[in-house]
Amino acid sequence: MKKMILRNVLLSAVLTATTTLTFAAEGVTIYGVKSVSGAFASYGKYADMGSKLAVEDYGTLLGQPVSYKTLDTEGNAGKAVRKVQEAVSQDNARFFDGATLSSTALAIGKEVNKVNGVFMTPAGADELTGVDCNMSTFRWSVPTYGAIRQTVKPLIDQFPEKKRWYTITPQYVFGEALLENAKQVFEAEGVEHVGNSYHSLKEQEFSGYLTNAMAAQPDVLLLLNFGSQSSNALRQAINFGLKNQMTILMAWSSGLDQLQELGPDIADGVYFGAQYWHTVDTPMNNALVKRVNEAYGMNPNYPLAADYIGTTAILNAIAKAGTTDSAVVAKALEGVTYDGPTGSEFVRAADHQVLKDYYLLKGKPASEMADADDYVDIISSGKSFPDEATLACKRS
Amino acid sequence: MSLYLFQILNGVGLGMIYFLISVGLTIIFGLLNFVNFAHGAFYLIGSYLCFTIVSLTGNFWLALAIAPLIVAALAFLTERTLIKRAYHLPHTYHILITLGIALIIQELTISIWGPIGKSVSVPDALQGVFQMGHFYYPKYRLFVIIFAAVIAFALWLLLERTRFGALVRAGSEDTETVSLLGTHIHKLFSITFALGVGLAGLAGVLAAPIRGVHPFVGVEVLGIAFVVVVIGGMGSFTGALVGGLIVGLVQSLMTTIWPQGSSLMIYGAMAFVILLRPYGLFGRG
Repeated sequence: MKKMILRNVLLSAVLTATTTLTFAAEGVTIYGVKSVSGAFASYGKYADMGSKLAVEDYGTLLGQPVSYKTLDTEGNAGKAVRKVQEAVSQDNARFFDGATLSSTALAIGKEVNKVNGVFMTPAGADELTGVDCNMSTFRWSVPTYGAIRQTVKPLIDQFPEKKRWYTITPQYVFGEALLENAKQVFEAEGVEHVGNSYHSLKEQEFSGYLTNAMAAQPDVLLLLNFGSQSSNALRQAINFGLKNQMTILMAWSSGLDQLQELGPDIADGVYFGAQYWHTVDTPMNNALVKRVNEAYGMNPNYPLAADYIGTTAILNAIAKAGTTDSAVVAKALEGVTYDGPTGSEFVRAADHQVLKDYYLLKGKPASEMADADDYVDIISSGKSFPDEATLACKRS
Repeated sequence: MSLYLFQILNGVGLGMIYFLISVGLTIIFGLLNFVNFAHGAFYLIGSYLCFTIVSLTGNFWLALAIAPLIVAALAFLTERTLIKRAYHLPHTYHILITLGIALIIQELTISIWGPIGKSVSVPDALQGVFQMGHFYYPKYRLFVIIFAAVIAFALWLLLERTRFGALVRAGSEDTETVSLLGTHIHKLFSITFALGVGLAGLAGVLAAPIRGVHPFVGVEVLGIAFVVVVIGGMGSFTGALVGGLIVGLVQSLMTTIWPQGSSLMIYGAMAFVILLRPYGLFGRG
């Protein structure tokens, strides 16, 4: 009986070793799930550049070259899932990075989890590390909880006399999460929430909502939308002269690429929340800025930096695990602390959320810009995350 | 000034912008019986040309004068080389051809100007706002309302009170007879197509300081233009004006009454009009 058990154990060990060697011999491929075409191509293009550069910089892993393949999600969750399924079934793909849209990221996370793969994403939906968390999904971006606390709270501290806040919110899960967090901060800080205008996800005309805001006579206008909606809301608010009447805060900007779109005339004097800014003085970020300038002749923006570090984190975890067995790699990624672009970053095991800084920026006038990308000053930064005891993530 | 009064003023402003966006589409459909799904794409070219001219010269007025003409010239070339071959085909072919043109324009735009959107500053002379109680209305938007009204009057004169307008209207009813009377009907159609598309380019220039410039703005503009044209009646100039104002007023007022449903109610208004008058308010059955 003992001999039989010993024989089975040895057989299992040999099989495991063979499988590992087979994986290693095939090399590692990172699959970048990016919206390089379609309505979100402006984001996906830079995200793709980030992942490519990370793979190029990594060189070899487990004695084999690392390769990279782009899966174009076209900004469509259905197409993204289909392409991930094909990569999994035809190429044995296990390591994925990217996904701009929350809906796409949530769908991909579920697919990757079916094969115990690893998926790192910078998407915004709190569900990724909340109620829809799983063993495979990791998120780099700060959740709505931290984005609001690192922008609204510092602004209240800076302007205690500004007691009346008005919000403009897209009516879907992401907007609701930002609004709910903002209300919590308002209540805790004794700030009056004088009104909110919801808008649909397709809206691009904000003059009516801005009129509602004017009628409420707030001290601060808080924009809780994202992407082209927040750009248009801010652009039109400036048209309506609101910058001279109230302080404006865009809690969730996409950083440099959005400021390049808006330009200094619009951004001047406006406050922005951001996941990343290229002038942050950390060793890894300084190296990243230098490298991206060498490779692409530009400063890294948020999608590029997020997907660079996301891809690098997966590769580091594979190196740490010493295997391409993705389930082992996912475990190896848990609890890791590393030097990221925002400084020391930590992957919380409980929900696979990366704990990192979020920034409050303030737009500066064109006359004070030191270079073409010097749109803002960093006002403050810090980490705010819900306690582990209160997490919605209940992974078995 | 009450909130609702101000929303009505804002709605009129929006409506005039929507009129400018849609009037070219309705002229082309009404007079040429051609469905132009590339209308939004030509608006896109107008807005990007505006961005480029303003970036190079710092002069918005130059962009306003030149960009629509360039768009009209491009439309003229497109009509002469491609569109004119499709007039006799069913509308489904018009849609296929113009959707293809729209995609080509969109991707070319990304190749030339990049995927990130751009902003165009309001010209210095129109910076600032008018204050009305607690409310502020941008001088630039007021300029757009007045400018659109002037364009509307000029267009009406052109189509209703000139020989050119009479020929175009006659040509849309009976191409063969007008041709037999000695008019170069194809040239007339080319000019009409260029005029309609040039108006889309003009709308792109005027809307650039308000809406910004983005490679995918054409699709959203096309959606609004079709709603306006369906409400007003396909091919009706007056319909485009009334339809634009209805859409603008509904959208603006609903942002106060039911903010999250303001976009939805534009389509609600369209459905309501179709139920009452299937061919639109001023459409011909």
